[in-house]
This record gives sequence, structure tokens and C-alpha cells, in this order.
Amino acid sequence: MKAWIDKYFSVIRMTWIQALEYKANAIVGTFAIFSGLAIEFLIWKQVFQAQGLTEIRGFTFNGLMAYIFLCMIVGQLKSSWATSMEMIDSIRTGEMNKYLIRPISFFTYHFMMFIGHNSLFYIVYSTVLILFPILLPGWAFPTLLHVLGFIMALLISIYLSYAIYFCMVCFAFWFGEVRALVIAYNISNIVLSGQIIPLRLFPDSVRNIINLTPLQFLVDFPVSIATANLPIKFWLPKMGIALSWCIVMTLAGRVIYKSGIRVYGGYGA
Amino acid sequence: MEDMVHRYFSLWISFFNNSLTRDLEFKANFIGGLLVDIIYYGIQFFFFSIIYSYVDAIGVFTREDVMIFLVITFLADTFYMFFFSGNLFNLNRWMVRGDLDYFLLKPMNSQFMVSFRYVKSYALVSVVILLIMLTTLVSAYSAPIGFINVIAFVFSFLMGTILWYGVDFIISSSCFWFKNFSVSGWLSHEILKFSTRPDSIYTGLLRKMLLSMIPMILIASIPTRTLLYGPDVRYLLWQFFIAIFFFLLTRIIWKKGLIRYESASS
Repeated sequence: MKAWIDKYFSVIRMTWIQALEYKANAIVGTFAIFSGLAIEFLIWKQVFQAQGLTEIRGFTFNGLMAYIFLCMIVGQLKSSWATSMEMIDSIRTGEMNKYLIRPISFFTYHFMMFIGHNSLFYIVYSTVLILFPILLPGWAFPTLLHVLGFIMALLISIYLSYAIYFCMVCFAFWFGEVRALVIAYNISNIVLSGQIIPLRLFPDSVRNIINLTPLQFLVDFPVSIATANLPIKFWLPKMGIALSWCIVMTLAGRVIYKSGIRVYGGYGA
Repeated sequence: MEDMVHRYFSLWISFFNNSLTRDLEFKANFIGGLLVDIIYYGIQFFFFSIIYSYVDAIGVFTREDVMIFLVITFLADTFYMFFFSGNLFNLNRWMVRGDLDYFLLKPMNSQFMVSFRYVKSYALVSVVILLIMLTTLVSAYSAPIGFINVIAFVFSFLMGTILWYGVDFIISSSCFWFKNFSVSGWLSHEILKFSTRPDSIYTGLLRKMLLSMIPMILIASIPTRTLLYGPDVRYLLWQFFIAIFFFLLTRIIWKKGLIRYESASS
């Protein structure tokens, strides 16, 4: 076990050092969050002002902004599409051979790389999240329990998101180039996971369908905990369902990977 | 001058044929590219349908206007993708790996080469679909849209495309100064987001900025206003002026950047 931890921790450390060299990623990422928030702020301000509304489906304007702000942070932290592109490339070009001849798991190695690459984001956004309840008290994290619940749900979200991406990446064994699939998922995921509009504002028919998928656990679940929009009594049952989805997606990924590796030519395309 | 235009046009046709052959080699990805576009359009329509379920109009833009605005936004994006995105997105990689040398050695204008070499041919299908959608929406629009509006719209739309090229080219060219600016595509995408929302949400200083320094309002909102509400000469002249300014800026930045280029792969 110790050898396993040492092996993969060294991957995190290596990619962390690489990530620290490219600080521009964190700067652009932060810009992305604040510019996205500015646009959402202006649109929803118009909606609230034009109709003279004080709240929409339980969201006050400030509450909605806090929700969207946290959604954008969680959305970026859990998104592993860049790592997925690298994985697709390694399958397509035959570079994956190096994982087959070494005692490394393709899944775990890239998961650790993803965490290492995102480490700069974790530092920047953790600082923002720590400052959040200090600068804007009452908008999120009302108690320490909510902080803990948010961290737990965020960890589940990061893992679940990676496991879903992994399943899609493995289709590269058959089709060679599946970037389009990953991008299509990424685009739909931004809206359907509640990253720019809370799921609660969706029409009931759409929400009922989303509730049957793991998408609700990617962004909406951790942010609903942080903003106290989800009563505490629902946390554990929801976490149980989210963990079940993690197991399902991990097993699905394994099955697809094992089938895919049989058709893998190892010579690139 | 005529010869030069003819020569460069022939060159672009060759680039297009070559890109089409390359794209068709990966048929699944070709179809996938179309699928991505359709999902992107669907998601944007869905986003605004939710917004408009709580509001009747955003500024002057009613639900009907915003549907046309969205199609124009998609059209601008697809036009840009068709011509430029396969090139400018890769500029940083070409520079870091030293591949830019091959572009500079060709007996033609190097900026033309790095801007037009790879055409995203699948975008042509999206352009056709979007043009049909736009025609349908415009013909079903509640108020009559005159021929003058359409002519002015085409002009405004082209200026918008030149502007977006200018902004993206400047961002991509910053790799000459930063040595490795791999997130330039991401930054461009984030800035472009401002053009995908109706301009009536922007007020004050931000509106002034988005009409001048970062002219995102001029890309899709002004063409939409021109088409729906008739040409406003002040807006069109301003758009023309800014488009020329940004285009000239790309020329200057490209030349300055090339002086800094060390031509070494690393």
C-alpha cells in the first residue's frame, strides 16, 4: 500500500511542479470565473429588475449570484477534459504502450496527473473560498458543518467527473479520435449540471431526467450544500447515491477499458 | 493588385481542398464536429429559454429577437471557426516547436499563411444549416425586414468577423512575448463569451469598453440590431473604423512578433 501511495504521490508531485511553471493557467482560470460571473450578474440583474422580482424559486438575487459563483469554481475544479484530451492522444498515437509495460494503472496515473495539474487552481480557489464567507457573510457556508459537507461533496464530484470522462476516453480504442464526444459532453455538462443556471430553475420535466443521471452530483450537489439550499437531512442519502454512481462509473470504465485494450493495436493512428 | 488577389484566392482554395481531404480521413470526428455544434446551439437555446421563462424582454431584445441574435452569434462563431480557428489556436504550438519556420519560408505573406492554412471544412455544413435557420426566422419575424437591412447586416457581419479575427490574432500573437502562452485559446474563448449575450445587458464603462478596446458588442449584437431594427450609420461607421484599426494592429503586432521570434524548438 505504501509503495502504491509513494508511486502515485510522485506523479502528483511531478505534475504539480510542472503546473507551477504555467501560472498563466490560474490567471486565465480566475479571469474565466469572474468574467463568467459578470455576464451572469448582468443578465440576472436585468431579469430581476425588468420583472420587479425579489426572488425566483427561492433564490434572492444575492443568493443566486453566490450560487453561480460557487458553481463556476466547482465546475472548473472538477473538469478534467484537458487530461482526457491527453489520454485520447496517447491511445490514438500508441504512446499508451508505456503504461502497458510498466506497473502503472492508466486510470490512476492520469487521475493523479489531473490532480497535480489542477493543484494551482486548488490553491487559488481555496483562497477565494476561504475569503468568501469573510467578505460576503451569510451568502454561503453558514456553519463549519457546511464547509465539511461541501468538501466531501466536492471530492466526490471530482472523482465522479473523472470517472465519466474516463469511460468516454476509452471509446478511443475503437474510434481512434473521440475528442468530439468529450467536447460535446463538456459543453452539455456546463448547463445540464447546473453550472450557469441552478437546476432548481429548470423546467420540472428536464430536472426529472437530470435527477436520473450522475450530472446532479457534479456541481449542483456540492454548491447546494455550501449555500444551505439542501437541508442537512438529505446530505447523507444524496452522498450515498453519489458514491454509488462513483462505483458504477468506475466499474463501467474498467469494463470498457478491458474490452478496449483487446482491440488496441499499439501502433498509433 | 488584381493578380495578387487572384493568387491568394487560388491559394486559399488549395488550402481548403487539402483541409477537406484531411478532415474526411477522420469521418467520425467530422461528424462529431457537427454533433458538437448542434449540442452547443441546443444548449444556448435552452439557456435563453430558461431566462425568458422569467422575463419578457432583456432591454430591447424580446424572445423572438434573441432567437435571431443567437443564430447570428452561432453564424459568426462558425464563420470564424471555418476560416481561422484551425490556425490561430495552434500558433503557440507552432512557435514553441519551431514549426513556424515552415510557414515563414513559404513565398507568400506569412500572416496570410498562419491565418488561413487550415480550414475547418465541417463548419461549412453548419454555415448552411444556420443560414437556413436565419432565413426562416427572419421571414417569420413579426415586423417586416427590408432589403437595406439585409445588405447593411452583411456588411456589419463581415466587419464583426474581421474584428474577432483581430482580437484573437492579437491574443494568439502574444506567445512571441510570453514564449509559451498555451492558454491563449482559452483566454480568447472567455473574452468571446461577452459577444454571446445581447448588448442591452452591458451598461456604463463596461459597455464603452466592449464597444472599443474589447469590441465584443460589435461582433454579433450590432449586426443583429442592424438586421432587425435597421442600419444605424453611426454604429456601422464605428464598426468599420474599429475593424480597420484592429486589422492594422494585427499587421504591426505580427511584424514586431516576428522580430522577436528565435526560431528554435524547445
